[in-house]
Amino acid sequence: MTSIGLIARKESGELLKSGRGLAWLLALSVILSVFSLLFVSNTELSLLDNAQVVYMVMGTITALGALLAVVLGSDAIAGERERGSLVPLLLTPVSTGDIVFGKMGGQAVAWVVTYFLSLPYLWAVGSSGQNLVEAVVYLALLGTPVVLGFGFFSLGLSARFGNVRAALITALIALMLLASPLLLGPGLRQSTIGKAFDTVNPFSAAVNSFDSVVIDSQPFSMQLGRFAVTLVWLILTLWFAGRSVRTVEI
Amino acid sequence: MLIEIDGLELSLHQRLILAGVNLHMQPGDIYGLLGPNGAGKSTTMSVLNGLRQASSGHVSVLEMDPWTQRREVHRQIGVLPEQAGFYDWMNAQDYLRWFAELYDRALAVGEIQLQLAQVGLDAKNADPIGTYSRGMKQRLGLARALLNRPKLLVLDEPTNGLDPRGRREIHDVLLGLTRESGVGVLLCTHLLDDVDRLCTRIGILHQGKTVVEGSLSELLAGGPAAGMRYRLRLLAPPLRTEFAHGIRVVAQEGQWWRLDIGSGTSPQDAWRELLDAGWAVSEIHREGGGLEDLYLNLTTTEAAA
Repeated sequence: MTSIGLIARKESGELLKSGRGLAWLLALSVILSVFSLLFVSNTELSLLDNAQVVYMVMGTITALGALLAVVLGSDAIAGERERGSLVPLLLTPVSTGDIVFGKMGGQAVAWVVTYFLSLPYLWAVGSSGQNLVEAVVYLALLGTPVVLGFGFFSLGLSARFGNVRAALITALIALMLLASPLLLGPGLRQSTIGKAFDTVNPFSAAVNSFDSVVIDSQPFSMQLGRFAVTLVWLILTLWFAGRSVRTVEI
Repeated sequence: MLIEIDGLELSLHQRLILAGVNLHMQPGDIYGLLGPNGAGKSTTMSVLNGLRQASSGHVSVLEMDPWTQRREVHRQIGVLPEQAGFYDWMNAQDYLRWFAELYDRALAVGEIQLQLAQVGLDAKNADPIGTYSRGMKQRLGLARALLNRPKLLVLDEPTNGLDPRGRREIHDVLLGLTRESGVGVLLCTHLLDDVDRLCTRIGILHQGKTVVEGSLSELLAGGPAAGMRYRLRLLAPPLRTEFAHGIRVVAQEGQWWRLDIGSGTSPQDAWRELLDAGWAVSEIHREGGGLEDLYLNLTTTEAAA
């Protein structure tokens, strides 16, 4: 196994093997169960149509994935530094780049687990309606760059600050800002500033695309611009993480 | 030469941290790097480990530049840092296996158990590392440092947190390694007792500078703190307590006598003279003495100036 693979294995092992690490899976299941129950009961009362519920669950899953990525990313460098395990890792013949890519691999594993764990909930709320397959595909296609981007951004902050708390607070504020379309709803996004923000915001790009595909049944060609925004976000955050890791102080 | 450092200087945040460090180490040496807190020991170690770049001076580890050839240096050295953190959710076997894989080594279960037994850890212990005592973690850190069969071991406070038996066991492991495989050990410690027992050479840092470097026995024989203090237990009161040269009685309490033997008097001559003076010695303890005095003399602000 390559050193990137070895680091990624350790990172994901910490999440999936340790007792404390597994708690997040339980928490995630509880949150998704509660949300699904709320949405299904609303659908039964005809307060929300089925496509609307699928769209909302997709946004919730993306937000939860991003939240998990922010927590993992903030801990990635600064947490190891604070626990004293960064120096032994830097003293192995593994390059800093491989260590960072391995940690990103661990974040990707966490998102993949979140994604597959959420599929039954998506099916539970959307199986009787339209565009469920499209929802599953677009959640992977646009949710992945958004979530991983948040992970890379937090990892960069973690390297720059060398302090978990500072990195986590900053990354959470950034997450709240970018996820504001999900919190505020469409009404407050119709102003000029709101529209401009929506155009460049990767989180908006993802949820607008979910809306377009699941509710309005629009084709992939209509999503290309939004897809590009999420990819640019991913590339920018990757670049930021790479630059930030060079500043790590032991 | 395992390590060759001449005139090492390092500035961090516009502050001169190292201002002339020299360190020379041959295969088989156990070198004690001493100095008060903040003297620059850990920073010197981080430079020779390739984690920091020197501002100026010559630094060579295993004939390589640790900054530009960092990965090759890391492949050939074993390091126990002062803050050796672990992954608390792993057990010792999984931890060593995983670390060995980072060095491209696939360790069999038997090899891991041998490695753990070598440092005195229960080889069958499957408990998570998070449940280990500080001493157990220290032993595991040493096992990790030995994983790649290093030519050079760099150990920062390796006996921290160990009980006297544990310290003695780690001493024996280090002595065995240098004797049997010519591994060099650079030991950074505050425990002068460790240095006294293990080291062949020492270097003392003070305010970022090497104030003395050389063979421990030579420094003690000719250094500024030449001479030794002993505490002796006598079976009966001695016939004579006045001596012509080099021996001076400092104090007496019951059967215990304290005396200084000056640097100009060889130990053989001193013991012979004591026997002639009717000293029936049943126990001998060396006190503080040479190394402690040498260290204290050289690490006062006036000495550095």
